Amino acid sequence: MIAISNAPLLQLALPEVILACTALLVLAMDILFLRTCRKGIRLAAAVAIASAGCVGAILRLLLAPEQANFLNGALVANPLTHLVQIALLVLTILILWISVDSTFTEHVGEFVLLLLIATVGMMFLVGSQDLLVIFISLELLSLSLYILTALDKRSARSSEAALKYFLFGGMSAAFLLFGFSLLYGFSHSTNLAEIASAIHCSHLNGSQLNPLLAIAIVTTVIGFGFKVAAAPFHFWAPDVYEGAPAPGAAFIASGSKVASFFIFFQLMVVGFAGAEGSAAWSRIVPGWVPVLAMVAALSMLLGNLVAIVQRSARRLLAYSAIAHAGYMLLAMVAHTQQSLAALLYYVATYALATLGAFGVVAVVEKRTGSDALSNFDGLSRRAPVLSFCLFIFLLSLAGIPPLAGFFGKFYLFASVLAASSSLGLLWLVVLAIAMSAVSLYYYLQVLKRVYVASAPVDAEKIQVPMLSQLVIVLLAWAVVLLGCAPYLLLRWVLEAVRVSGL
Amino acid sequence: MTGIVQNLWLVPALPILAAGAIALAKQRNRIFAASLAIGSMTLSFFLSLCAFAHVLWLSHHGEQELQVVNFRWFQFGNEWLRLGWMLNPLTAVMLLMVTFVGLLIFIYSIGYMAHEENFTRFFCFLALFAGAMLGVVIANSLLLLFMCWELVGLTSYLLIGFWYHNPKAAAAAKKAFIVTRIGDLAFFLGMAWLYAQTGTLLFYDNGAGCLEHTALASLVAQTTILGLTASTGIALLIFCGAAGKSGQVPLHVWLPDAMEGPTPVSALIHAATMVAAGVFLIARIYPLMSAHTGMALPLTPTVALQVVTWVGAITAVFGAMIAVAHYDIKRILAYSTISQLGYMMMGLGVGGVAVGMFHLLTHAFFKALLFLGAGSVIHGCSGEQDIRRMGGLRRLMPITFATYAVGMLALCGFPLFFSGFWSKDAILHAAHTWSVSQVPFYLGAFGALLTAFYMTRQIYYVFGGTSRLAGASHASSHASTTPHESAAVMTIPLLILASFAMLLGLIGTPAWPWLQAFLDGQPTALHFSAFANAELLAVMLSSSLLVFLGLGLGWWFYGRKPMEDSPKADAMPDAVEQLQPRIFAVLNHSFYVDELYAATLLRLNAGWGHVCDWLDRWVWNGAVQTVAHLALGLAWADDFVDTRIVNAGFDEGCQGVSRGGKILALLQGGQVQSYLRRIGFALIALAVFLLWGAKG
Repeated sequence: MIAISNAPLLQLALPEVILACTALLVLAMDILFLRTCRKGIRLAAAVAIASAGCVGAILRLLLAPEQANFLNGALVANPLTHLVQIALLVLTILILWISVDSTFTEHVGEFVLLLLIATVGMMFLVGSQDLLVIFISLELLSLSLYILTALDKRSARSSEAALKYFLFGGMSAAFLLFGFSLLYGFSHSTNLAEIASAIHCSHLNGSQLNPLLAIAIVTTVIGFGFKVAAAPFHFWAPDVYEGAPAPGAAFIASGSKVASFFIFFQLMVVGFAGAEGSAAWSRIVPGWVPVLAMVAALSMLLGNLVAIVQRSARRLLAYSAIAHAGYMLLAMVAHTQQSLAALLYYVATYALATLGAFGVVAVVEKRTGSDALSNFDGLSRRAPVLSFCLFIFLLSLAGIPPLAGFFGKFYLFASVLAASSSLGLLWLVVLAIAMSAVSLYYYLQVLKRVYVASAPVDAEKIQVPMLSQLVIVLLAWAVVLLGCAPYLLLRWVLEAVRVSGL
Repeated sequence: MTGIVQNLWLVPALPILAAGAIALAKQRNRIFAASLAIGSMTLSFFLSLCAFAHVLWLSHHGEQELQVVNFRWFQFGNEWLRLGWMLNPLTAVMLLMVTFVGLLIFIYSIGYMAHEENFTRFFCFLALFAGAMLGVVIANSLLLLFMCWELVGLTSYLLIGFWYHNPKAAAAAKKAFIVTRIGDLAFFLGMAWLYAQTGTLLFYDNGAGCLEHTALASLVAQTTILGLTASTGIALLIFCGAAGKSGQVPLHVWLPDAMEGPTPVSALIHAATMVAAGVFLIARIYPLMSAHTGMALPLTPTVALQVVTWVGAITAVFGAMIAVAHYDIKRILAYSTISQLGYMMMGLGVGGVAVGMFHLLTHAFFKALLFLGAGSVIHGCSGEQDIRRMGGLRRLMPITFATYAVGMLALCGFPLFFSGFWSKDAILHAAHTWSVSQVPFYLGAFGALLTAFYMTRQIYYVFGGTSRLAGASHASSHASTTPHESAAVMTIPLLILASFAMLLGLIGTPAWPWLQAFLDGQPTALHFSAFANAELLAVMLSSSLLVFLGLGLGWWFYGRKPMEDSPKADAMPDAVEQLQPRIFAVLNHSFYVDELYAATLLRLNAGWGHVCDWLDRWVWNGAVQTVAHLALGLAWADDFVDTRIVNAGFDEGCQGVSRGGKILALLQGGQVQSYLRRIGFALIALAVFLLWGAKG
C-alpha cells in the first residue's frame, strides 16, 4: 500500500468536497426544516443554497494552484481542467435556476442533491488521468442521472426511460470495465500515460495492432459512445430525453455531454497514443481513429435523418444531440491541440444553446401539456420573447452566422481539415456539412411552426416564470455574444489547451 | 482660438443637420422648423464671428493667415482622395456675410411665409441652401466645392419650384437647374483637367495644392491648342461654371425666371448664396485665373482675366438695359442683379479679388434689402407684383419705403453715404486704369447711368403718386385690400440691412482700404491723402455726375407729374415707350434671348431628340428585342432543365433523405432488448473491422 497523505488530497479535491457538503446541507435543510413549507419555497431555498455552493466551488477553482498531480494521475489539476470544471459548474447553476419553478416531484432535497452529486462526479471525471477514478466517477455520474430520470414518479414514461437508460448504461459500463481490464492486463497500470508507453513498446516489438488492444479500443468506444449518445449506442437517448423531467434531460444534454466529451478525448488521445491509425480516405489504418470516424459518420447520418420525422420537440432535440455528437467526434478523429480547443468551444456553445432550447420546451410543455411540435404553432404570438430566444437557439444549433453555433462548426471543421495532411479527412467534413444542411430543414420546421403557423383558436398568452425567462434570455444573449465575439471564450480555451500541453 | 479652424466644418454642417432634422418633422411643427433653422443659422453666425476674429487676430500678429485642415476621404488605386476646409480672410469675410444676411432673411421668412401651408418644408430647403453655400465657402478642395455647389444648384431648384403646383414656377425651377448645369458641365471638365494635370484638387496643401506655386508653374508652362496655356484653359472652363451660377451673359436666362420662387428665396439667391457662389469661385481660384509665366506683377491681365472682364462688362450693361423696360418689381431687381454681377466679374477681372469681393459684399446687403423690401411690398399688396398697379405706397408703408430708398440709393451708387458708391467706384477706377482697353470702363459708366435711371423709375412707380391698386382690382383677379405695412418680424431685418447698406462702404474707401488690405494680408492705415489723386477724383466725380444724371432723367420721365389712377393702368404706355416704342419693346422682351434660344438651341435639341427617338425605337430596340428573345429562349431551356432535371433530382434526393429518416426511425422500436442486441452487433462489427484490418 502506498501511504496517502490527506492534506494534498483535500486541497486538490476541495471544490468537489464543497459541492458534496452543499448537497448534504441541502438535503438536511429540506428534510429537517422545510418539510412543511410550500414546495416553491423549498425549491427556491434548495436552489439558493446549491447555487451558493457552486459559486464557492468556482471561486475555489479560480484561486486553486495552476498545476497539480496527486497520486500519479489519480487527481490532476491544470488550467484546462479548471476551465472545464468551471464551465460545468456554470451549467449546473443555470439548470438549477431553470428548475426553480418545476413541479414534477415532491422530493426537492433529493432532486437538488442528485444534481449536485452528478456534478461532483463530472468534476472528478474531468480531473483524472487514471482509469479507476475515471470509471468510478463515471458510475457516480451515471447512477445519479438514472435516478434523476426516474424522479418524476407520477409519469410512466419517466420510469420506462429510466429503466431503459439503466439497462443500457449497465451494459455499456460492463463493456467499458471489460475494456479497462484488458488495458490493465496489457500495460499493468491504470495511469493513462503509462498505458500509452506500453502501447508504444508493443509497437516497437513489431506487431501492428495487438488484438487485445483492438478489443479494448472497441469496448472503450462503446462505453463512452453510450455516454455521448453517438450512434449506434444512442438508443437510450430519445426515450430518456422524452421521458426524463425537463431539468434532468437538460442536464444530460448539456453538462454530462461536456464532461464526457472532455474525458473521452483525453482518454483516447493520451491513453491510446500510438494506436491512432488513420481515417484518411486514401489510406485507412486500423486504430481508434477509423473506429471513431465510422461512429461519427453514422451518428451524423442517423441523427440528422431521423430528426426529420420526429413529431415531438424533445425527441427532435435528442436526435439533434446525436447528430451533434457526430460532429464533435470529428474533432477527436483529428486529435490535435487545435481540434481540442475547437471541440471545447463547440461543446460549450452547444450546451448553452441546447440548455436554452430545453428551457423553452419545458415552459411550453408545462403550459400546453405536451412537447408535441404542434403545440409550438403560433408561439411567436403567444410568447414573443420566448419565441425569439428559441429562434436564436435553434439557428445556433443549425450553425447560422453570426451565432455561436456557426463559429463552433467553423472552427471544428477547419481544425479537422488542418489536422490531416493532404485533406485526408475531407470526406468526413463534406458529410458533416451536407448533414448540417439537412439539419437546417428540421430546425426551420420548428421555427416555421413558431412564426408562420397560426395559433390554435383558444390559445392564450403564455405566462413565462420570471427566473426561467431571465435564464433563457441570458442564454440567448450569451449565444449571440459568443457568436459575435468568439474570441471571448476561444482565447481562454486556446490558452488553457496550450498550457496543459495535451 | 485654433479650435475654430478644426471645427470650422460645423458652420455648414449645422444648417444642413437642421435641414435634416426638419425634414423628419411633421408638417405642422412650424415653430420647431423655424426655430431649428434660425437657431442653427445663429450658431453658424457666431462661429463665423469667431472665425473672423481668429483671422483678424492672426493678421494682427503677422502670422500665416491661411489655415487648412485636410483629411482623407477614400482610396482609389494607390491614391487617396483628400478633402478639406480652409480659413483665410476671404473665407472669413464671406462666412460672416452669408450667415448674417442669411440669418436676417430666415427671420424675415417667418413673416413672409406665415400663411404658407408647407412652412416646414420651406425652412428645411432654406437651411439646406444656406448650409450648401457655406460649404462652398469653406471648401479647400475643388471637389468638395463642386459637391456643395451642386447642392446649391439642387436646393435652388427645390426653392424656385417651391410652389410647384404653379406651372410657371415648376418651369422656372427646371430652367434654373438645367442652365446652371450647362455651366457646371464645363466646370466639371475643367476640374477633371486640373486633376489630370496636377494630381490634386486641394487648393492649399503645404505647397502641394493646385493653387500653390509648384502646380501653377507647371500649368503655366504647358501650352495647348490655340496657344493657350493649360492654366488658361482650365480657368476658362471653370469660369463657365461660375458664369452659369452667377447669371453672366449668355447663361443669365434662368435668373429672371427664378423670381417665381418665394421672395425670401429670391433674396437669398441674389444676395447671399447662389449667384455669389460664382463670383466667389472666381475669387477663390484667382491665383489660377491670374497665373502667367512671369508671376511678378499681381495685376497682369491674363487671357482668362480678360475674358472675365469682357463678359462682366457686357453683362453689366445688358442687364441694366433690360431692367429699364420691365414692369415686374422682382424682375427689375433680377436684371439689376445680373447687371451688378457683371460689375463684380469686371471688378475681379480688372482689379483683383478685393475689388470684386467688395462689391459682392455691399451688393449682398443692399440687394437683400431691396428684395426683402420688394417682398414687403408684395406682401402688403396681397401678392401683386406689377409696378403699374402699385403706387402711393410711400405713406402706406413708410418703413418699407425708407429702407427701400436706402437700398435703391446704395444700388445707384449715390455718392459718399451709400456703400454701393464706394464699391462701384472702386470697380470703375480699376477699369479706368486697366491696361488693355478703356471700353469696359465706358460700359461700366453707362451701366451706372442706367442703374440710377431704372431704379428711379421703379421707385416712382411703386411708391410715388397715388395707389392704383384699387383701380386695377376689378380688372384683375387679385382679391385686394388696402396695402399695409408689414409685421415687425419683416421690417426689423429691413432696418438692419438698411443700416449696413449705408455703413458697409466704409470698409473699402480709398482713404481706408481695409478690405483690400485684409484680403491681401497687409496692415492698413487711414490716410485721406488718397483722395488727392487726381485720376481717382476724376473717376469719382464723373460717376457721381452720371448717377445724378440718371436720377434726374428718372425724375424727368416719371416723377414730374404723378401717374394717373385709371382702370387701364396696364395699358398705359410707359414714358420711355412713348418716346422709343421699338427699343422699349426689344428691351421689354429681354433682347429676345429666350426666344432666340427657343428657336435655335431648343429646336436643335428637340430635333436631335427625334433622331435619337427614331434610333432608339427602330435600331437599338430591334437589337435589344433580338437579344431579349434569345435570352427568353435560353431561359425557357434553362427552366426546362431546372424543373425537369435539377428540381426533380433534388426532390428525389429530399424524398430519399426523408425516406431514410423514416427507415432509420424504425430502429427505435422501443424494445430495450433489441437496443442491447444492436450494441452487441456493433461490438462485433467494429472488432472484426479492427482485427481484420490489423491482419491485412
